[in-house]
Amino acid sequence: MRIIKKIVSWARIKSPWILHFNTGACNACDIEIIAALTPRYDLERFGVVLKGTPRHADILVCSGPVTKKIEDRLVRIYEQMPEPKFVVAVGTCACSGGVFDGCYNVAAGINQVIPVSAYIPGCPASPKAIIDGVVKLLASLEEKENKGDVSIFPSPER
Amino acid sequence: MGALFYILIFPGFLFIIFFSLAIEFIDRKIYARLQNRVGPPWFQPLADFIKLLAKEDIVPTASNPKMFKLAPILALTSVITAFLYIPLWKTGALFSFNGDIIVVFYLLTLPTLAFFIGGWYSTSLYARIGSVRCLTQLFAYEVPLFMGILSSALLADTWSLKEMAVFYTQHPWFWMFNLLGFGISLISLLGKLEKVPFDIPEAETEVVAGSFTEYSGRMLAYLRLTLDIEMVVGSVLLALVFFPFGLNINPALGFMLFLLKVLFIISLISLLRTVVARLRIDQMISFCWKYLVPLALLQILVNLILKGTLLK
Repeated sequence: MRIIKKIVSWARIKSPWILHFNTGACNACDIEIIAALTPRYDLERFGVVLKGTPRHADILVCSGPVTKKIEDRLVRIYEQMPEPKFVVAVGTCACSGGVFDGCYNVAAGINQVIPVSAYIPGCPASPKAIIDGVVKLLASLEEKENKGDVSIFPSPER
Repeated sequence: MGALFYILIFPGFLFIIFFSLAIEFIDRKIYARLQNRVGPPWFQPLADFIKLLAKEDIVPTASNPKMFKLAPILALTSVITAFLYIPLWKTGALFSFNGDIIVVFYLLTLPTLAFFIGGWYSTSLYARIGSVRCLTQLFAYEVPLFMGILSSALLADTWSLKEMAVFYTQHPWFWMFNLLGFGISLISLLGKLEKVPFDIPEAETEVVAGSFTEYSGRMLAYLRLTLDIEMVVGSVLLALVFFPFGLNINPALGFMLFLLKVLFIISLISLLRTVVARLRIDQMISFCWKYLVPLALLQILVNLILKGTLLK
C-alpha cells in the first residue's frame, strides 16, 4: 500500500495541471501568467499544462483581490475542482488585497474566501517569480510527503 | 493461458498502454522541440495517467450517471480490441478473418460515438456543443479515410488485413502507387484523432474541452488513454496498409522497422499539428468533401486501372 501511495504522490507532484482564473485583477498579473506559459519559459518542463475547465485542473491560479461580484464564482469554481486541489495566489493583490485593501467592494485577498497553498507577491509578479513559486509549492508538497504528513494528500472520500 | 497472455500482456492491455504512453511522449516532445522549447520529461504521460487515476471522480448531478460512466469504458475497450486485428511486423495478426479491415474501421469509429454519448449525457452546454461537433466532423473525415485505406485493399483484392500484408509482400513495390492514398488517410486521421487542424470538437478557446468538459479523475484518464491508443492504432494501421514492406524478415529487424514506420507517421502528425492552425467546422467539412474525396476517387481509379493492366 505504501509503495502505491508513493507512486501516486510522485505522479501528483510531476503533473500539476493549472486553471487560470482572474479574480478581479488589472490584467497585469494575467499577462505575466500567460507569459510564463509561453515557449520562452516553457512550464511544460515541470508537467504544467493550462486547462480550460476546473474538472481537469489540480492547481487554481488566481490573480487579483476578490471582488464582491466574483466571490461566489470563485467559490463555485473551487468546489468544481476534484480533490486534491491547491490554490496559488499570484500578485500582491491576490496575496493581501494590495492597494485595494480596505475597499468596500473587495475581499482583500484570496485567502479570505478559499484556502491558499502558495503566495507569489509582486506587482505584477514576473514569470520567473511565478515559476519559482510553483516549483516551491511542488517542492514543499514533496517534503511534506516525505515527512509522512499525509494530510496534504487526502484520499478522496466517497 | 495463452489467450490470457495475449489479451493481458503482449499485444493486449499492458503492451498497448505503455506503447501508447511512449507515443504520446514522442508526439509532445516533437511538438515542443518544433516550438523551440525543452518539452516534457519522458515519464510525463505516465505521471499524468497515474495522477488522474488517483483523483476524485465527479459525476455531475444533472447528468445521466449510467451513460456518463459507460462512455469512457466503451471507447477504451473498442480501441484496444481494434489493435488485436492488425498485423504488426509479421504478415499474420492475432485474429484474422475476411473482412476484418471493416471491423477495425468500425471499432475505431466507436470511440467517436462514445465521446458523443459521454458529452451529451453530461448535460453541460460546452460538452453538448463539443459532442455535436464531434459527430459533424465524423461525417466529413470518415469517407475519405475509408476510401483511402480501401483503395489499397482494392489493389490487393482482399478485405482482410492479413491477406493484404501477404499480397504486398509478394508484390514488393506496389505500395508506391498508394502514396496519394496515404496523404489522404493521414489528413483524415488527424480529424479522427481530433488533432490540430481538426481539433474543432475540443477547441479549448471555444468550447473549453468539448465532450470531455465534465469528466474528471479516472474517467478522464480512460478518455485520454483512448485518444492515445487511437493514435497508435491509426498509425499502425496506416503503416501496415501504406508501407507494407519488410514484413517477413527476421523478427528483431522487423520490429525495429515497424517502430520506424510508426515513428515516421507520428512525427508527420506532430509536424502537421505544429504548422497549421485550427479550421472552422464548415471549412473542415468543405475541405474534406471538395478536395479529399475527389482525390480518393482518383486513387481508386488509378488502382482499378493498375488491376486491369499490371495485375492481369
